[in-house]
Amino acid sequence: MEIKIRRQGKIKIIQLIGDLDGNSAPEVREEIISHIDSNTKLVFDMKKCEYISSAGLRVLLIIAKKLKSVGGKGVLAGLVDEVKDVMEITGFSHMLSSYPTIDQAINSL
Amino acid sequence: MRHLERIDNYPTHNYQGLKLRRGHALPFGATLVPGGGINFSIYSKHAEDCELVLFEKGAKEPFAVIPFPDEFRIGDVFTMVVFDLDYENLEYGYRMDGPYDPQNGHVFDKNKILLDPYAKAIGGREVWGEKPDEDDPFQHRSQIVNDDFDWQGETPLEKDMEDLIIYEAHVRGFTRHESSDVKHPGTFAAIREKIPYLKELGVNCIELLPIFEFDEFENSRISPETGERLLNYWGYSSVGFFAPKAGYAATGNYGMEVDELKNLIKELHENDIEVILDVVFNHTAEGNERGPYISYKGIDNKTYYLLTPGGYYYNFSGCGNTLNCNHPVVRNMILDCLRYWASEYHIDGFRFDLASILSRDQQGRPLPNPPIIESLAHDPILGKCKLIAEAWDAGGLYQVGSFPSWGRWAEWNGEYRDSIRKFIKGNGDVAGEIVQRIEGSPDIYGDRGPTASINFITCHDGFTLKDLVSYNNKHNKANGENNLDGTTNNNSWNCGEEGPTDNSQVQQLRIKQIKNAITLLMLSRGIPMILSGDEFANTQFGNNNAYCQDNEISWLNWDLLEENQEIFNYFKSIIEFRKEHPVLTTDHYDTDYNQTGYPEISWHGLELWDFDPSESTLTMAVLFASPAVKYDTDNDQFIYAAINMHWEMHGFELPNLPEGKKWHIVANTGIEFPEDIWEADKQPEVDNQNEVLVSSRSIILLVAK
Repeated sequence: MEIKIRRQGKIKIIQLIGDLDGNSAPEVREEIISHIDSNTKLVFDMKKCEYISSAGLRVLLIIAKKLKSVGGKGVLAGLVDEVKDVMEITGFSHMLSSYPTIDQAINSL
Repeated sequence: MRHLERIDNYPTHNYQGLKLRRGHALPFGATLVPGGGINFSIYSKHAEDCELVLFEKGAKEPFAVIPFPDEFRIGDVFTMVVFDLDYENLEYGYRMDGPYDPQNGHVFDKNKILLDPYAKAIGGREVWGEKPDEDDPFQHRSQIVNDDFDWQGETPLEKDMEDLIIYEAHVRGFTRHESSDVKHPGTFAAIREKIPYLKELGVNCIELLPIFEFDEFENSRISPETGERLLNYWGYSSVGFFAPKAGYAATGNYGMEVDELKNLIKELHENDIEVILDVVFNHTAEGNERGPYISYKGIDNKTYYLLTPGGYYYNFSGCGNTLNCNHPVVRNMILDCLRYWASEYHIDGFRFDLASILSRDQQGRPLPNPPIIESLAHDPILGKCKLIAEAWDAGGLYQVGSFPSWGRWAEWNGEYRDSIRKFIKGNGDVAGEIVQRIEGSPDIYGDRGPTASINFITCHDGFTLKDLVSYNNKHNKANGENNLDGTTNNNSWNCGEEGPTDNSQVQQLRIKQIKNAITLLMLSRGIPMILSGDEFANTQFGNNNAYCQDNEISWLNWDLLEENQEIFNYFKSIIEFRKEHPVLTTDHYDTDYNQTGYPEISWHGLELWDFDPSESTLTMAVLFASPAVKYDTDNDQFIYAAINMHWEMHGFELPNLPEGKKWHIVANTGIEFPEDIWEADKQPEVDNQNEVLVSSRSIILLVAK
């Protein structure tokens, strides 16, 4: 999995490219947590992430909790339908709000 | 203080590049441990050697086979930590070597790859009905789950038993039909979508037919009607006891069935609906001597199964084998299993299929104080769980009323079903029994109270309610046994014609009989249970044993909901009525005179007090008098039901009410929608306060205002 990070003002936009699964989850977790400090605002650009496994969803949940604990905020943008559906069915959709586009996600922060 | 790392988080052994160390004996199963390892622990008393067999998900060939070194065995337990495995992409099994000596109960075969009895998820049947590769030697594959679901503070509801209205449903059949209008038909996820419907109906507890992993391809019969292979659709045949049926999850192919089910339970709880699981501990899917090796028989046949002195399987379950439930090891496994479902899945209660098997000793004899039943009754983690027994087995034990309860166990009341069915079809000989059934069956559960009685008229096993009033005989040809399977003791009546009919008189009578049945159920003390679909007159076309029918015979046809709005509306309203009258849902048998000046329950005939329960009759009436102070209601409540199961109209004399109160009509099953049942604020006053005329095979239900 490839992780690309860019800034737009005070917001960091993190693009996840590839599968977020048991192999990539630990790396994603480490990389993203290292970008979190107080009041961090993150947008996850998910449109090129077509598969998130159970471990991948857990990493997102851990990131969401970490953000909350330091007063930061994170949102998802551009989830592919199947991933969105899995998150909804398994109860992971409550952890991070999700928006169709990056612009909408940025505006929500 | 910062967390210190454990000092044993490092490997001590290396086997063909895999890093290992001796494991922890508890907990059994496979558990993620800090430091990136997985702890494997499995019991076998009689195995001499054991190997751990590791696969990538779905792979036919293992990527590693690791023999347990001698020093990794603790007592009868093989343990090992393996480091650096990708747990999500892993499936594992065991191979056990030991004696092959069937006469003495041992059938070890070191070539068989065996499922872990404690597997928390099981691969191999991830998508319902997808034909498995029968050449694969490892059919049911242990997987590893992370039990870290985020419940967000949600806890089990712990409702009082007496407040339950149970709705029995099959996960797949509930929404598989194309008419169900859900995104993922036939799955846990789809039940979520039906939560608003369940709330509208008014039930507050859903009891799911077995959801432990089973093999729908266990059945090999072919339907003589369609030529298609029949399945084990109901799933009363556990493959593993700790794993949810992956094929019931929309996300089963993602390996996320655990999260999907937990999320369903969480949302049901958030909507005030409890979840009871129908659990099958009486036998496993391994069948008899000719059955497959899945797990238990290859791990320790003599421990897990009841065997005859010659080493054959006792068959008290009618399914080939009998789990050795009162063996201390098996007993602990059952306890571990239920604790796991209660604590990790927040399950509110369990209904035990053929529970009487749990009361047999290791030779198959009934025990007066079965240890497993007692353990469950007193278990701290199960302390608030409902425990419900199907108090009989296929070996001839029938314990309705005598199932050892320790004040904790309730029972499916088979007597309730039989009495009500007989009475509705017109057998007046059971009038005296009807008194007992409506009072909560004190004749059966005298020292236990009405909450020991799960009252039901229909359940998955037998006719649906619509079929109960549409068929005299079972029509099971599609099951492939020449209509010989299924009970003949249905106490059903087709109302004049067998099966579907255009005869409007027959149709009307059937609707009336359905309303009569649900009215009696909702008037009875004890815990009512409804079969899903009965509320809109779902039919199985006369099949009373649809265990193998994964098709329109079993699937609820939601088009009927629209067609039979009248029945749905009646169910909904009469459920609401029950909830508003605590005298019906109480946990005691009080019938004597109370603060109202009336007896709490009194029985009448066409004339007041003229009722002899020892005589055969089809006309009877019941008066409930419920004091406000005792039942915490706004006013004293009076309920009167005139029950006329005779084929002619009868006048019933009405009881006098306290000054200022008048009888009002709640329901009259003899009248068509919309005057069949009334909302509380619209109930019309009875014209003649001295008498009501009750038409043939009808019930009039009144309240005082």
